[in-house]
Amino acid sequence: MAAVAVKYPAFRELGTEVLTVSVDSVTTHKEWHEKELSRMVEGGALYPMISDPDGKIGHLFGVYDDNSGLDLRSHFLIDPQGVIQTVEVLATPIGRNVAEILRQLRALQHHQATGEFMPCGWEPGKPTLTEGDDTPSTSGKVWEVWKPRNAF
Amino acid sequence: MGIQIGDKAPDFKAEAYYRGTTQGMQLSHYQGQWVLLLFYPADFTFV
Repeated sequence: MAAVAVKYPAFRELGTEVLTVSVDSVTTHKEWHEKELSRMVEGGALYPMISDPDGKIGHLFGVYDDNSGLDLRSHFLIDPQGVIQTVEVLATPIGRNVAEILRQLRALQHHQATGEFMPCGWEPGKPTLTEGDDTPSTSGKVWEVWKPRNAF
Repeated sequence: MGIQIGDKAPDFKAEAYYRGTTQGMQLSHYQGQWVLLLFYPADFTFV
């Protein structure tokens, strides 16, 4: 979560609020924030740290794990209309990649602004496709405009 | 999984630790801006 706190200004620049959720109580969030987060990141976490003690929110989003009684490591990007645009769930031992979440957000915002499609490995400034690569008019022609090196 | 791309995010109310205080919050209050909703197993663990 410290990595998210570090990148919080980048999310704000993209007009995005961050909300984090675990089954811990608000008191535990406070302790963690004081003892650890605020020591790792200047100012600590400046976004709401939500308490989901009975896993109700995790249930709503399908990420509550009954066996462990915990919310799974996952993220959802929700657009300004309240519509879910990204769903990602990770195995508990694996940490997420905050830079990738920012990339997904930039790609989604770029798509909503331009209607363009962002191919594999897209980053701002890299080529886009004007139609989906599975639409009839571009089917079989993606190779003309997009090269695998663009993915890396 | 119940939630799919294109679904309206289910609304919820909850309590949150926010900048030193305990505050009530509601997801739908954030409509009009993008939201990163991020779940994690437990405090005192890595991202």
